Amino acid sequence: MGQLEITLQVNGESMKLDVKPAETLLETLRDRLDLTGAKEGCGLGACGSCTVLLNGVPTRSCIVLTAELDGAEVTTIEGLGDETRLDPLQESFMEKGAVQCGFCTPGMILTARSLLNRNAQPTRQEIIRTMSSNLCRCTGYKKIVEAVEAVSSRETPKP
Amino acid sequence: MIASRFEYRNPQDIDEAVRLYLEFQGDAVYLSGGTDLVPRMKLGLEKPGAVIDLKRILPLTTIEDQGDWVRIGGLARIFDLKQNELIKNFFPALEASLEATSCESLQMRGTIGGNLLQNSRCLFYNQSEFWRRSKGFCLKMGGESCNAVPGAKTCFANYCSDNAPALCTLSAEIEFTGPDGLRRLNLEALYTNKADKPFDLRPGEILTAILLPKKKTIGGYKKLRVRGAIDYPLLGVAFSFANGSGKLAVGAVGPKPYVVEVKQPARDNIGEAVKTVLKQARPVGNTVLDPDYRKRMISVFAARLVNKVMKGAK
Repeated sequence: MGQLEITLQVNGESMKLDVKPAETLLETLRDRLDLTGAKEGCGLGACGSCTVLLNGVPTRSCIVLTAELDGAEVTTIEGLGDETRLDPLQESFMEKGAVQCGFCTPGMILTARSLLNRNAQPTRQEIIRTMSSNLCRCTGYKKIVEAVEAVSSRETPKP
Repeated sequence: MIASRFEYRNPQDIDEAVRLYLEFQGDAVYLSGGTDLVPRMKLGLEKPGAVIDLKRILPLTTIEDQGDWVRIGGLARIFDLKQNELIKNFFPALEASLEATSCESLQMRGTIGGNLLQNSRCLFYNQSEFWRRSKGFCLKMGGESCNAVPGAKTCFANYCSDNAPALCTLSAEIEFTGPDGLRRLNLEALYTNKADKPFDLRPGEILTAILLPKKKTIGGYKKLRVRGAIDYPLLGVAFSFANGSGKLAVGAVGPKPYVVEVKQPARDNIGEAVKTVLKQARPVGNTVLDPDYRKRMISVFAARLVNKVMKGAK
């Protein structure tokens, strides 16, 4: 059961990794690369707390094998803003109080980011539909939806 | 964590994939989106010697208008399919079932072929190895009897594809490619009616396509679940109607979708159709909802769905 050599771009940085076939993307991110923003919740792809962007698509990293990803681009919550400037969604989540325990927040923000990237001004219904991909057990979603809505009203649609 | 060890391969075409399967002497599984397979591997329900990833085989992802048929590649993503104009215009029951499948993020990963070939589910089966060992293995794990219905010698796991019932109402056919070449059959013929081994699959076969007769239909899909997203169906009812005849299919209350013709006028004959389904469906206490309730909801959901769909009929 040999190791596999994988080329991966994580948060803009290209890297070569030797991974075991059974290693999940979440394990690679957390245990090898110390990117602990993505959280392990259910571990079975149901809750969405491990969501990262895989080639721009929100993906549950706990049920993806790193071996599948040769040549892929991964964005984690650490790669979204930088130390001086946060992503508008991160600002908005703080402003609106859309964070309580914070465990679901990285996944929530990345799911919302991918929605706004493909549709800068979604309707409230579209936001609700997209955000229902991720489980939150404390805020009750109202503030999360409001936080996404606030950003969408400020972002201009892409031509 | 996936406790078992396996080899990983990513063939570039179907022939190579089948060849690899034979090379590993059948001790291999095909991987598409992985939203069913990887959780099963994590729970120790699958321990393959090799995982053969089909995602590099691009022809498997296409949706094609072939004149009399619409051909959907086995690896077409649920999210792409539900936005396809052909699907929306001709097969509204399928559009609705795709929309009801899990949640957006998982629709972007999961494929239609994987959705159809997802294994049947049970509260006493989809558990960690530690949990299952403590309880004692059930029939589906090679044990002596069922854990959901103590003492039973039949498995009662539910087949939880949302899209299978919709595809059955549309008279879908499926195409496999395997070591012996191509095999094409009605989707309904895929099911063995045995929950512990739900599919009539031959070793090494890949579900390469789903074929739908290109005929304009009206229809819909109605799903019972506790939460409005992500959850598997606790009951799924699909209905399609075209040229004076309709088909009803009921899923997630047994090892296969139960499919019946609904004579015209559909609204008057739905009771009769549901009776036929109720003779076969056998919900037991192996989900988070009471089996009697799920059984009662079959007629309620079927009547509501057929009424709604037929209101749109000319």
